[in-house]
Amino acid sequence: MKILVFAQIRDDKIEENTLGILNKVNEVFKDSEISASLFGSNIKEEWIKQLGVHGAKKVYTIDVPELEYYLSRPNVKALSKVIDEIQPTIIIAAGTVYGEDLLPRVAIRRGVSCAQRITDITKEGEEILFYTPVRDDQAMKVQKITGDIKFVTTRTGAFFVNENPTGEEPEVISVDITFEEKDLLVKHVEIKKAEVTVNLKDAKVIVAGGRGVGGKDQFAILKELASILGGQIGATRACTDMNWVEETYEIGQTGQSVSPDVYIAAGISGAPQHISGIKAKTLIAINTDEGAAIFNYADYGIIGDLHIILPLLKQKISD
Amino acid sequence: MKIIVFIRQIVNPQVKLQGVDYFDTSRISEDDLIINPFDKNALEGALKLKDSESAEVTAICVGGIKPSKAVREAIAMGCNDAVEVVDDNYYLEDPMILAKIYSKIVEKIGDVDLIFTGCEEQSSSSYAVPAMLAELLDIPSVLYAEEIEKTVDRFRISHVLEGGRKIVEMPMRGLISCTDSQYFVPRYTSMRGILTSKRAQIPQWSNEDLKLDEATVCENAASLTVSSFSNIVIEKDSYILKEEEPDEMVDKLLAKLKEDNIKLGV
Ligand SMILES: Cc1cc2nc3c(=O)[nH]c(=O)nc-3n(C[C@H](O)[C@H](O)[C@H](O)COP(=O)(O)OP(=O)(O)OC[C@H]3O[C@@H](n4cnc5c(N)ncnc54)[C@H](O)[C@@H]3O)c2cc1C
Repeated sequence: MKILVFAQIRDDKIEENTLGILNKVNEVFKDSEISASLFGSNIKEEWIKQLGVHGAKKVYTIDVPELEYYLSRPNVKALSKVIDEIQPTIIIAAGTVYGEDLLPRVAIRRGVSCAQRITDITKEGEEILFYTPVRDDQAMKVQKITGDIKFVTTRTGAFFVNENPTGEEPEVISVDITFEEKDLLVKHVEIKKAEVTVNLKDAKVIVAGGRGVGGKDQFAILKELASILGGQIGATRACTDMNWVEETYEIGQTGQSVSPDVYIAAGISGAPQHISGIKAKTLIAINTDEGAAIFNYADYGIIGDLHIILPLLKQKISD
Repeated sequence: MKIIVFIRQIVNPQVKLQGVDYFDTSRISEDDLIINPFDKNALEGALKLKDSESAEVTAICVGGIKPSKAVREAIAMGCNDAVEVVDDNYYLEDPMILAKIYSKIVEKIGDVDLIFTGCEEQSSSSYAVPAMLAELLDIPSVLYAEEIEKTVDRFRISHVLEGGRKIVEMPMRGLISCTDSQYFVPRYTSMRGILTSKRAQIPQWSNEDLKLDEATVCENAASLTVSSFSNIVIEKDSYILKEEEPDEMVDKLLAKLKEDNIKLGV
């Protein structure tokens, strides 16, 4: 069996979820031929090496100016071309914005569907099963994909990167491609990178706020509490989108990944994109809504108004 | 400008039904049914263009337990009209099939400039439909939009991206999937809107109208099939306090943390 991993770049490196997927498929599909595709402009030697070290035997590269920035159509064409060359059984990508954009497109062009946001994949005999948690991680939907070709995206943060990879230099296959005007109707303008001024990776305590905080000024209490606890503040994308706090504090799939001892989530609903960036030993949730998904992940919690609870918490800790 | 917004009706995630029970439609009442929140963001995106460009906005709800509730809400928000599409033979669990049905609807309506959808369906985590629909229709598209700005003859769209955001430009005919960013915060229904929605005649379509080959949209046509569906057993015992004086709850929380040897500070 052949497996193709759609490799992605983040911060000038192979993105971690891609490496996690390579690790996972090497584990589950031991006797398979595992390849990776890598598209871009001025693809770096070290990226290719890294894919090899993490278990890709072959790397299919397409290195053209049109692929410098991700755009749907050119990537649909590029991935389809590589699929034609390899004829893989499984095509798998990390469920980043790009991964989720691309795979369903290529899938439906081949008349098949796509397994979405999986957190596990198993093979029993000939049967391959894909595991997608639903209903805020309360239930597991196990699915099969009929037919000879299976498209899959993973949930970000689902698979671990092998810390001691032993793969070798991969074979590199460079693939040619040409684009037409109609492939380039959507145009790249710019990427506005969030400026990372505070590294939350090493924070032992994080007091994070969500839309429930209610405004820029109301973040003060979170900052005070974080300061007393010797930690940092954090926030959901909802808060950075509204400029309540700087983008550097965003936690989750598109923000920073954190692994503190204690994570206090105040006024945060618990969207999967936020949760996927958190690996906390202890999670404490404060939310007015008992039904909020965050309570599925909480070790401790108070159902109540953060504007009352946080000041009390601060006062009692200071005493 | 003619705009279609595809909306889905889902069970309110706040309903007190855990795990697989949430998906058991026999256990819920009409009050529990809502428009998928991201689809309300999509409605807002379309209605903003209606405000500024005098666009015609049609909301379409395929499936759902009581789609009339969803489409009437869409009209109350400001949509010009709406269509319900219900056919018991349609298998809507597979995003590919839903995309095929949407594609046929776009074709039937004809002359559609723009399509709006939510970026995903909450609770089922299904995000693939907008991407698939754009491919079936072979139109430009931008997914996970956070903001739309109209330039002379194009849309300048900011969308979610790992590590920030990205700006792209799209022709004015295409598909946009919307997130719950500030820009797409849905408007409330107005009194006038509610009255209009009560009086609105809402066409109901089935496959008699769409004339899809049933064999391509029924359960047997699915390429993604469910092999098992079960609750995830959570082993940890959460300690959640409620319905007490805030002061007491905070005391109890701190005492319990101490008892469990969890240090709050560093
Ligand atoms: C592709 C993509 C990537 C994304 N990446 C990220 C990411 O990396 N990080 C991220 O955070 N989000 C991300 N998002 C956004 C994510 O989907 C959610 O929209 C976001 O996390 C919601 O933020 P929230 O919990 O603050 O807001 P909401 O979901 O609006 O929740 C607010 C909560 O506050 C509670 N509340 C209200 N008032 C009070 C009060 N007084 N006291 C206590 N509680 C109160 C409410 O009950 C509610 O539960 C992404 C989205 C997409 C589409």
